[in-house]
Amino acid sequence: MKILVPIKRVVDYNVRVRVKSDGSGVETEGVKMSINPFDEIALEEALRIKEAGKAEEVIVCSIGSKDCQQQLRTGLAMGADRALHVLTDDEVQPLAAARALLKLVEKEDPKIVFLGKQAIDDDCNQTGQMLAALWQRPQATFASKVDLDGEIATVTREVDAGLETLEVDLPAVLTSDLRLNEPRFVKLPDIMKAKRKPLEEIALAELGVDAGPALETTAFEPPPKRAGGRMLESVQELVDELKNKGLL
Amino acid sequence: MSRPEGIEFVDDDASRMHYGRDWTRFWTPAPHSIAFPRSTEEVVALVAWARDEGRALVPSGGRTGLSGGAVAADGEVVVAFDRMRDVLELDPAEPSIRVQAGVAVGEVQRRAAEAGFDYPVDWSAADSSQVGGSVATNAGGIRVLRYGMTRDWVRGLTVVTGRGEVLALNRGLIKNNAGLDLRHLMIGSEGILGLITEVTLGLTDAPPERSVLLLAFSGLDAVMPAFQALRAGLSLSAFEFFDAASVQAVAAAGDRTFPLEAIAPFHAVVEFDDPDGSAQDAALAVFEQLVDAGRVVDGLVSQSGSQADELWHWREAISESITPRTPYKNDVSVRVSRVPAFLEALDELVGRQYPDFEVVWFGHIGDGNLHMNVLRPEAWSVEDFREACNRLTPAVFELVGRFGGSLSAEHGVGLLKRDYLASIKSADEIALMRAIKQVFDPDGILNPGKLLTVER
Repeated sequence: MKILVPIKRVVDYNVRVRVKSDGSGVETEGVKMSINPFDEIALEEALRIKEAGKAEEVIVCSIGSKDCQQQLRTGLAMGADRALHVLTDDEVQPLAAARALLKLVEKEDPKIVFLGKQAIDDDCNQTGQMLAALWQRPQATFASKVDLDGEIATVTREVDAGLETLEVDLPAVLTSDLRLNEPRFVKLPDIMKAKRKPLEEIALAELGVDAGPALETTAFEPPPKRAGGRMLESVQELVDELKNKGLL
Repeated sequence: MSRPEGIEFVDDDASRMHYGRDWTRFWTPAPHSIAFPRSTEEVVALVAWARDEGRALVPSGGRTGLSGGAVAADGEVVVAFDRMRDVLELDPAEPSIRVQAGVAVGEVQRRAAEAGFDYPVDWSAADSSQVGGSVATNAGGIRVLRYGMTRDWVRGLTVVTGRGEVLALNRGLIKNNAGLDLRHLMIGSEGILGLITEVTLGLTDAPPERSVLLLAFSGLDAVMPAFQALRAGLSLSAFEFFDAASVQAVAAAGDRTFPLEAIAPFHAVVEFDDPDGSAQDAALAVFEQLVDAGRVVDGLVSQSGSQADELWHWREAISESITPRTPYKNDVSVRVSRVPAFLEALDELVGRQYPDFEVVWFGHIGDGNLHMNVLRPEAWSVEDFREACNRLTPAVFELVGRFGGSLSAEHGVGLLKRDYLASIKSADEIALMRAIKQVFDPDGILNPGKLLTVER
């Protein structure tokens, strides 16, 4: 059984994101980039499934510029067996990503495609669902627990009302939520080994999918600056102030 | 007792306990009361009043000190700077920041970052400690290797002396060769010469992205060669080492699992500039070389900011995790090249005198600074333990003296090491220090008994 794990290169979770001065996007020059944390959790889960003897191969893939290979190498160092890189310098929106991933699915025939539930840069939360629809296979999203038994995955999902448990037939698309696991650290000797693992490049154009943008971004702007706090002299003044604002 | 008008005072028991001590737990807090001035003028009024009343003043910042410098155990009035928390100016041209003494060091770091700069002096307690205290103790911390100590960043100070004079020292200038620089006399003076009310700190450019290594060493003798190799191959901003006992303490306190498979005798957290992820290759090359030489047995490298934070935690949480064991702390330094021999000799000394004591080692090693923490065995009372440690102290400091080191690398002298100052400073030096104290504080009202004994 193969598991395909798509990972996205995003601005690191700990970085304070800045909008470019011309409003054309967010600053990524000289900014720390990492694997999208939800994708990292998906990869960790896939590796644990393999380590438990329930999968033979974990393949990481990414769509984007040459720089994505840094994150793919990290994925290989974590323990993935090989990597696929769909090369493009253009913006890739969820539908285009799902179409490209479908081509990789047709090529690799995985039992599970395990993605993060969303990427922390655009917060779309669409790619996994769209891929399941295009692939015409079941989906179990926001997984906080995954059990595999032969051709069936039992997935606990975090939903508004609590926890929901689904059984899905494989092949299927799974997406990870935050509490599924805690990803491992990369060991230095494994980085050395990762350099010898196969990384295949495929130009996006070669996949023959419509990758054009469906949405147009018109502007980027930072959130408005928070007004400074004010010190009040007494509790009474605070009460009056809240009443004036209609909050009491 | 009359009190100066308009200044807030409290004297309830809980406040007296809270404001009467720092992170040491050897002295029972017993201040008279706590004053909360809001301005330099109010500090001047406090000093005038204290002189009239013959009342001792103990300046108090975040009280995260480890030498008893801010302890008030003898009926003193604590001068807390908690109401002096204004950031007055951030000058992007120099760049510099001017703040009141009570601003937290962590706040300075945040303000600097928001403006696209960096205040690089950093330590575990940065969010609790105050700028005034950091200057009075010349605090160091985890990036001294790259950026030096607090002293290197102080551009200006406003100080109220024990005679009530207000000195505006160096006034924020970068270059100012005009005679004796009293600013530097105030830095590290532990509150015995004046009360710092306002500070101008230099800032630097925002740091590049950094990655963090966690290394496991085969033994103590591997640490210095590894430091040298890493220093040659990477642009290091920190090299912090700690022993197996440190790891166990942090793991137990926070219910965490150490990310390496096995706990080695010694580890280091190594931080290096890694602007576009390319320095990881260089790190890897040094790592391979160290593994081949048998010095390093295992290692990890952070792949994200949160992983870097997690690795740092294993160093930063040590001090707090061992606090419940009332550690007997030694903050010693020797020349970098002498660190391994010194550490071995010190370890041997403690092991010989008190074989049952558990010793936790950690420190900055890259700048020659070691923190030796002897933990109180659970069965011992604090008093018995302290007494045993006191018997150990002269031998430790004798060893420090023999290695040409310092008994206080960064924590200061305070009450804890006052009586041992003579082991590393000559009688002439101490006599001059006393004379200087006399000039700035003729009535002896400022933090009496700290750093220097009171001559009666």
